[in-house]
Amino acid sequence: MSRRTFIKHSGLIAGGLILNDKLFAAISKNDFKSINIGIIGCGDRGTGIMKVMKELPKLFKITAICDTLEFRLKHAIEIEPAKSYKNYLSLLEDKNIDAVIIATPLNLHFEIAKAALDANKHVYLEKTMTHDIVQALELAAITLKHSKQILQVGHQYRSSPLYYKVKDMIDKGYLGKVTQVDARWDRNWNWRRPLPNPGLEREINWRMYKEYSGGLPAELLSHQIDFINWAFDTQPDQIYATGGIDNYKDGRETYDNIQATLRYEKEGMIGNFGATCSNQKDGYLFKIKGTKGTISLLMNEGVYYPENTTRKELETVDGVTGATKITWNNDGGFALLPEPTKDGTWYALKDFHQSVTQHKLPDSNIITGTKTAVAVSMINKSAFTNTIQHWLPEYNQIDVKGK
Amino acid sequence: MRWLYANWKFFITVAIAILFTSFIVDSEIKRFQLNGFAQGTTWQVTYYATDSLISQESIDDIFNEIDLSMSLYRSNSLINKFNASEKGIKADLYLKSVVQKSIEIYKISNGTFDITVKPLVQAWGFGVKNVSINPDKKSIKSILKCIGSDKIFLKNDSLLKSKSCIEIDLNGIAQGYTVDIIADFLETSNINNYLVEVGGEIKVKGIKSDGSNFNIGIETPDIISELPFRKIVSIKEGAITTSGNYRKFRLQGNKKLSHLIDAKSGYPIDNEMISVTVWAKDATTADAYDNVLMNLGVNQSLKLLKNTADIEAYFIYLDKNGHVTDTETNGFSKFFKKETDLKK
Repeated sequence: MSRRTFIKHSGLIAGGLILNDKLFAAISKNDFKSINIGIIGCGDRGTGIMKVMKELPKLFKITAICDTLEFRLKHAIEIEPAKSYKNYLSLLEDKNIDAVIIATPLNLHFEIAKAALDANKHVYLEKTMTHDIVQALELAAITLKHSKQILQVGHQYRSSPLYYKVKDMIDKGYLGKVTQVDARWDRNWNWRRPLPNPGLEREINWRMYKEYSGGLPAELLSHQIDFINWAFDTQPDQIYATGGIDNYKDGRETYDNIQATLRYEKEGMIGNFGATCSNQKDGYLFKIKGTKGTISLLMNEGVYYPENTTRKELETVDGVTGATKITWNNDGGFALLPEPTKDGTWYALKDFHQSVTQHKLPDSNIITGTKTAVAVSMINKSAFTNTIQHWLPEYNQIDVKGK
Repeated sequence: MRWLYANWKFFITVAIAILFTSFIVDSEIKRFQLNGFAQGTTWQVTYYATDSLISQESIDDIFNEIDLSMSLYRSNSLINKFNASEKGIKADLYLKSVVQKSIEIYKISNGTFDITVKPLVQAWGFGVKNVSINPDKKSIKSILKCIGSDKIFLKNDSLLKSKSCIEIDLNGIAQGYTVDIIADFLETSNINNYLVEVGGEIKVKGIKSDGSNFNIGIETPDIISELPFRKIVSIKEGAITTSGNYRKFRLQGNKKLSHLIDAKSGYPIDNEMISVTVWAKDATTADAYDNVLMNLGVNQSLKLLKNTADIEAYFIYLDKNGHVTDTETNGFSKFFKKETDLKK
């Protein structure tokens, strides 16, 4: 996507937030065609997406749902009384379905996405895109062959106007030369879901097991890693990660405590990505630090803190006139948007709808999704094998093909 | 004797040195700033002088006097007494001059600017009391009978009304007037290089200590510019005020109701305007005009301003395709300063 298109896109969305609805109506009038959706995977995330889709009834109609677990199907039907399937292959045979949402354990992403593309469905594939690098590159190759179909990867937070604004500010130089990124996603609980019966441990708590999951890097940190890749149009050249099962020695295999250092050589930038299940003080933390300023982000709010010299440049005004005044926060920053954004999924689904109806490449696409899946795999490999991982030239084939 | 003489010389040298130093210190122009909270918003006064010439309390006193005269939020204010009265009241100097100016602009704007709009503002839920239900056609029609600045009069010391149901709301002009009163106070205190700002309504005069003009940021929706106040104007003298639709509104279903009510139709303004920033010689005039122009829309505003001396304006509005865009009068475009280039 060209820079101009990007700015237009982000600008329109951002404007819709604070202006009246006329604006939104004007840009969306021509593409209010509802698309039929099949949900594959009705766990927390799948049903969460269903609820957001119900807020957008003009855009989506959930016509089918699929899960291997009976109680999950029952729960999902309460949200939307759609046709239910236990096998996703049967759902894919349904000609009535235009697009599928894939919200299954990570190890199933590749095979289901491939099958869905082969069945001529558009795909909204939850993050992380695939479980490993081989799958990522193969899915990329398959997707590029299916040029009529859209594949969007569910890194939903950066679909919000807030994250577009941050990318725009980086492009325009508000941060100056960025050298450091600090990202955390911490919590203080065991990250387990309750079991209806003990036999379902691996199906429900799949995040605990390497066979099904990439653990904290894949389920949480991938969002921030993906944003940095996208915002700077880059990928990490070198990764060193460390971690362990340091608190919850409950038979899990994926680490409950992880720290990864990502080196972006071209940008001259270091990313520190960490997550623990044993402290929640920082929660979600995302700071991008440059010579001119820092942006500190939550999922739906952001604050810009200029460095002292930049502050002086920005404060070249002696007074401000406005309908109502915007003022600096007490801590020396100011809010990037006047009000918090909606949940990222709402914007991500709108983008998906627009991509499908207007046949445009979504911003969270196969190229960015592949880069992030590769980076996540490198983090896990580094942490599990105690080695430094390097971005290999063959990982770039997607770039060449994609462009 | 020689010793004494030598010491005399020394003393004189020291005395001259001290005198000279103190003269330099005294004559250095410094920046002084006062801030506060009044009229439901913030205010600031910045001035350049050799010494601090006014106190925070003196500004607070001005706000207090003006509020006692024309605040709808003070139960004992003159304006509330007038609104509750049958025929009118004895007015103070503040109320008289604001009403006089209001009637003048009412006439110039063919009734678009109308301080008797208060019953409508209240009915639409933008007044002092909260309202949850919108007025129906019938009640608006009946309220309109009590609207019209041709039904109020200034006679000697009194402000009179021809109908007891007439009530006035000076919110569209009082803040600008307050800015002018504070500016007058600064000038009588021998301050001639200043910026006065109350709730985003501004008046400036003179220059800063480095000889440059005062710079004023225009707050814009972030689609127009990247960060708040990226449109910057630089002015030597005069007032800048802004009226806007983009933050103060009530939701009615999915529709946003503007807080600006059209006194002629009785309904909230529903046009393409997002905000108008006006320059005039004084803040009272600028403040009144920003309301008029919001109401008129871009084309009519530009037409009106072509034949109006000493008023310039900058508009942000939705074009025919629903895209946010901006334009300004020729006079206003001369105020714009080049944006700060952060990439340099």
